[in-house]
Amino acid sequence: MTRDELKDKILTILTEDFEFEKPGLNDNLRNDHGFDSIDAIELLGKIEIILDFSLTRDEKEKAMEIRTINDILDYIEGIVQSRNKQPTSV
Amino acid sequence: MKRRVVITACSAITPIGYDKRDIIESLRQGKSGVKPLRDDGLLTKHIHSRVFGTVDYPIEYGFKRQYRKTMGPVAFYACQVAKDVLQSSGLSRDYITSGRLGVAFGSTHGSPTVQRDIYKTFFNDLDSKFSSIGAVDYLRSMVHTTAVNITRMFGITGRVIASSTACTTSSQSIGFGYETIKYGMQDAMICGGADEYDTTTVAVFDNLLACSVDYNHKPHCTPRPFDAGRDGLVVGEGGGAVLLEEYESAKRRGANILGEIIGFGCNNNGGDMILPNLDGITATLRLALESAEISPDDVDFISAHATATKMGDVIESQAIAAVYGNGPLVTGLKSYMGHTMGTCGVIELILTLYMMEQGFIAPTLNLDNVDERCSMLRHTRQLTDTAIRIAAIQNFAFGGVNTCLLIKNGSEADS
Repeated sequence: MTRDELKDKILTILTEDFEFEKPGLNDNLRNDHGFDSIDAIELLGKIEIILDFSLTRDEKEKAMEIRTINDILDYIEGIVQSRNKQPTSV
Repeated sequence: MKRRVVITACSAITPIGYDKRDIIESLRQGKSGVKPLRDDGLLTKHIHSRVFGTVDYPIEYGFKRQYRKTMGPVAFYACQVAKDVLQSSGLSRDYITSGRLGVAFGSTHGSPTVQRDIYKTFFNDLDSKFSSIGAVDYLRSMVHTTAVNITRMFGITGRVIASSTACTTSSQSIGFGYETIKYGMQDAMICGGADEYDTTTVAVFDNLLACSVDYNHKPHCTPRPFDAGRDGLVVGEGGGAVLLEEYESAKRRGANILGEIIGFGCNNNGGDMILPNLDGITATLRLALESAEISPDDVDFISAHATATKMGDVIESQAIAAVYGNGPLVTGLKSYMGHTMGTCGVIELILTLYMMEQGFIAPTLNLDNVDERCSMLRHTRQLTDTAIRIAAIQNFAFGGVNTCLLIKNGSEADS
């Protein structure tokens, strides 16, 4: 999956499931969209579906550093790279 | 320090309406909110009782996802009525978030709908669906979900009391809220309860042979409190909230005083968890009168718990007769909507406030032939135009918990 494809997928999730209005890639998720710790856990569940594998506890804890949509994309790409595995459910 | 506590706003979602006018019309016209039990695709086919006090009208919630994500159906009812009372109160955002306002709110067991979804996931394809158990499922289903969804939605930072004592849930919420203000721990409390559509509760009472089954083909004819032909309770759904405020500050800000809580009695039977207990109930009614420092003769109207079970109504009649004789008019308001479980206390209090304001007492529906064991009371058999000065709201729960709230007409708050 290219970064653009991944971006479209994440934006769809954020607008449809999380009801973000006009999300920007560098918006602060918490300040601009009210994204909180509960949302972060929900989003990780959706990322696992995209990746088609379960994230480890360490990988999930790293997600707590995410602040923007670009950070989400970097995070997913980093996971895939480190596992040397491409998402399969695309 | 003992301070006076008044009711300055209320809202109820009930099987006989949400809008105050609809509820009053139902009470005046004798309209029942009991409908056929809707199919849940799981238990319904095994349940003998096919009636339910049903909320079947649309409600425009308009809650943002930010709040919806932690809410099961029960919290929707709770937050909607809490929103109504805060909006009609005119309290400022600064006051609401100041810590001077708390919440006393509960439900019978959180959200059974969400709990059922969790169990479905557990028992079907657990391996592949484990991750589909959402991070928020606990927040939606937990027993204090109503209280803390209210605090979250409105930024309330005061005390939280999350009573969960089945049929006395919301009357305890109001009673404990009243005492919290009376003794100076908070200046205002949002109090109430909610319970969602749930067939588990119906199944429990059905198995105890406590549910109505003889009127499945004509739901509006049941429940029948105090009637010789009663055959059990009807489970229902709904939500209700009242705003309680310390009297002097409410008066200073020009709040509309709907009523005053003047007494609260609460105790336990100290024994059997199911059977009604004459001594325990009688003691509760007396505790409330002592708390209010009034005599039984001062009470004009009793909203009886009156679930229409065979023994419950008889024991309650004996308790009322022992304390009040046949002075006050007695109505079983569950005859209009069934037993809304954790919500019944607050709904019955709000209906009583409406009747106080309008100057009438609704009759007990379906009371065609009074059971002779209940006949010593002054039953309300027809719509009665009369002033209510002081009313008692009685509720009793599984576990042997009993409550009695005494309220005074708001127009008499200054007298």
